[in-house]
Amino acid sequence: MAGSGTNVVSRSSKESAGGIGRLTRGRRGRAARTIRQGELRTAALFIAPALALYALFMLIPFANSIYFSLTNWNGATALKEFVGLDNYIAMFRDPTLYLALRNNVVWIVLGTAAPVVLGLMLALVLWTVPRGALFFRTVFFLPFILPIVVVGLVWGWIYHPLFGVLNRVLATVGLESLGRGWLGDASTALVATLVAAIWGAFGFVTVLLYTALQNVNTDMVDAAKVDGATWFERARFVVIPAIAPVLTLVTAITLIGGFAVIDFILIMTGGGPGNASTVLGYYAYENGFELNRLGYGSALSMFITVLSLVAAVAFVKFRERER
Amino acid sequence: MERGAPAVVSGVSPRVKNIGAAAFKYAILILFAVITLYPLLLVVSTALKDPTDITTDPFALFTSLDVGTLGDAWTLGGFGGYAFNTVYITLPTVAGVIVLSTLAGYALARFEFPMRNLVFFTFMLGLMIPFTSVMIPLFYLLRDLQLLGSLWAVILPGVAGSAGFGVPLGVFLMRSFYQDLPGELAEAARVDGATEFQVFRRVMLPLSAPGVAVLGVLVFFQTWNQFLMPLLFLPGEENRPLSTGLYIFASGRTQEYELIAAGSIIMIVPVVIIFVIFQRQFVKGITAGALKG
Repeated sequence: MAGSGTNVVSRSSKESAGGIGRLTRGRRGRAARTIRQGELRTAALFIAPALALYALFMLIPFANSIYFSLTNWNGATALKEFVGLDNYIAMFRDPTLYLALRNNVVWIVLGTAAPVVLGLMLALVLWTVPRGALFFRTVFFLPFILPIVVVGLVWGWIYHPLFGVLNRVLATVGLESLGRGWLGDASTALVATLVAAIWGAFGFVTVLLYTALQNVNTDMVDAAKVDGATWFERARFVVIPAIAPVLTLVTAITLIGGFAVIDFILIMTGGGPGNASTVLGYYAYENGFELNRLGYGSALSMFITVLSLVAAVAFVKFRERER
Repeated sequence: MERGAPAVVSGVSPRVKNIGAAAFKYAILILFAVITLYPLLLVVSTALKDPTDITTDPFALFTSLDVGTLGDAWTLGGFGGYAFNTVYITLPTVAGVIVLSTLAGYALARFEFPMRNLVFFTFMLGLMIPFTSVMIPLFYLLRDLQLLGSLWAVILPGVAGSAGFGVPLGVFLMRSFYQDLPGELAEAARVDGATEFQVFRRVMLPLSAPGVAVLGVLVFFQTWNQFLMPLLFLPGEENRPLSTGLYIFASGRTQEYELIAAGSIIMIVPVVIIFVIFQRQFVKGITAGALKG
C-alpha cells in the first residue's frame, strides 16, 4: 500500500519524459485537460456502484456499531436509549471480558507462533529438497482451503472421548490417564480448538514463505556455506533476513485475524464448557445474538476493532521501518 | 535447488552426509503430510462405512465399505438442496465482486480526479474492519431492508466485503493490476474514438483477465466456505447453504457420522477440484495481495 503512491509518480514522470511527448506538448496538454473533465464523471460512474454497496453494508453498519455501543438497545424496542459510556464501563468491570481477553491472547500468541515457526521450518525444508516440493506444497496447503465447519467437525472426531484417535494413541503408548473429552474439558477446550486452527493455517504460511524463498539469491547462501557457516547460521543470517518482509507480513495477517476469531470457537466448543474457551469475538456474538444485549455486544466489538486496528497500524509502521 | 559440491571437512564423506540430510528432510515432510492428510482420510473413511461399523467403531480408518451414504446425504440428508443454495450464493457474489471491483479499480488506477486517494483509502479501511465490528448492526439493517432469510442477505454484504474480501480486496488487487498495465493501448483506442467505457470493456478488461481470475478464485473459496453470515442472516431452512446445513445437521443428528462425513465431502469436493485447477492463481493471488499490501 505504501509503495503504490511512488508508483504513480514514477509512471507520470516517465510519460512526460518521452521525446515525442515534449514535441507535441501543446496539443496533448489541451486534449488531456478535456479528457480530464470527462474523467471526473466517468470515474464517478465507474466507482459509484462499488462505493454505494460498500457504504451501505460496511461503512453504515460500522458507524451504527459505534452508535449501538452507546445505547442499551435490546433489538426489540423502537427506542434506543442513549446511555453514554455505560457499556464500556460495565465491560471493563466484567470478569468474563478478562477471561475472553486472556483466551484471545493465548489464541493470538500460540495461533501465530506455531504456524509461523512450523511454516518457516517446512518452507526451508521444501526449498532445499531435490524433488517433490510441489507435491508437498499442495498437500500442506489443502487444510487452508477447507471450510472451517468441516475442519471443526473432523477435529471434534479426533478429540472424541470414546472413539477419537487422540485418546487411542495415548492409550497405546501407556498414557491412558491423559485421555479425556478434549473439547468438553475446561482445561483443554481452548488449546484443542487452537490446534485445529493451527492445522488449518500452517500451510498458508508455508506456501507464502516458500514462494518468497524462490526469490532468494542462492549465490549468497553458497558463499556463506563456503565461508563455513552452518545450516543454522545460513538460515539465521542469510536466508531469513532475505524473506523478512514476507515473514513479518504472514505474522501480521495471522495475528490480526486472531483478534476477531469466532467461527472455530462457535463450531467446536460454543465458548464452553461454561465460558472456559470464550474469546472476545464469541462473547460479542453471544451478547449480540443470543442474549439480545446489542449495546453491550457492540461495545465488545468496538473493543476488538480498536485492538485489531492498533495491531494493523503497528504493523504498517513496522514495515515502513523495515524498508 | 542445485547446489555446488559442498566443502565439508568432517570425517563423513559429503555424499553420505547429503543422503542423511535429505532423508531427514523427507522424514519431516512425510510426517507433516501424514498430519495434514489424516483428517481428510478420516472424512472419506467415515463416509464410506456401513451402519453397523459406524455404531461400533466410527473412526477406525477404512474398516468397511458402503458407497450408498453419499446418495443418502444428498437426498435424505438434504445436502443436495444445500449445495444448490451454496452455488446460488457463490456465483452471484463472485460475479458481483469482479464487475464492481474491475470498474472501481480501473477508475482508481487510471483516472485523475479529486479525492482519489481518499476514496481508495476508504475502500482499504474495509480490509481492516473485522466482521465482528459490523455483524450486529448489519443484522438489523438487513431486517429493516426485509432481506433477512433471502439469498441477498449474504450476497450483497458478501460483495461489499462485510465478512472480509469482497470489493475492498477486489479494488485493491485490480487497481494495482491496472497500474501495472501499459497505457499506450488505451491511448490508441481513445485516439480511434472509443468512449472511456469502451476502452475499459474492449481493451483493458481483457488484458486484466489474469488478475480477474486471481480475484475470482479467492472470492470463490471464501464465499463457498463462509459460515457466520449464513448462520446469522439465513436463519430458516429454505436458503440454507452447505456450511450451516452441515453444522446444524451435525449438532442435531450427532451420531450419524457417516452422513455428516458424506455432507462434508459434498462440500469439499468442489473446493478441492477448483483448488487443483487454479492452484497457481490462488497462490499467486494470496502472494500478490500479501506482498503489495
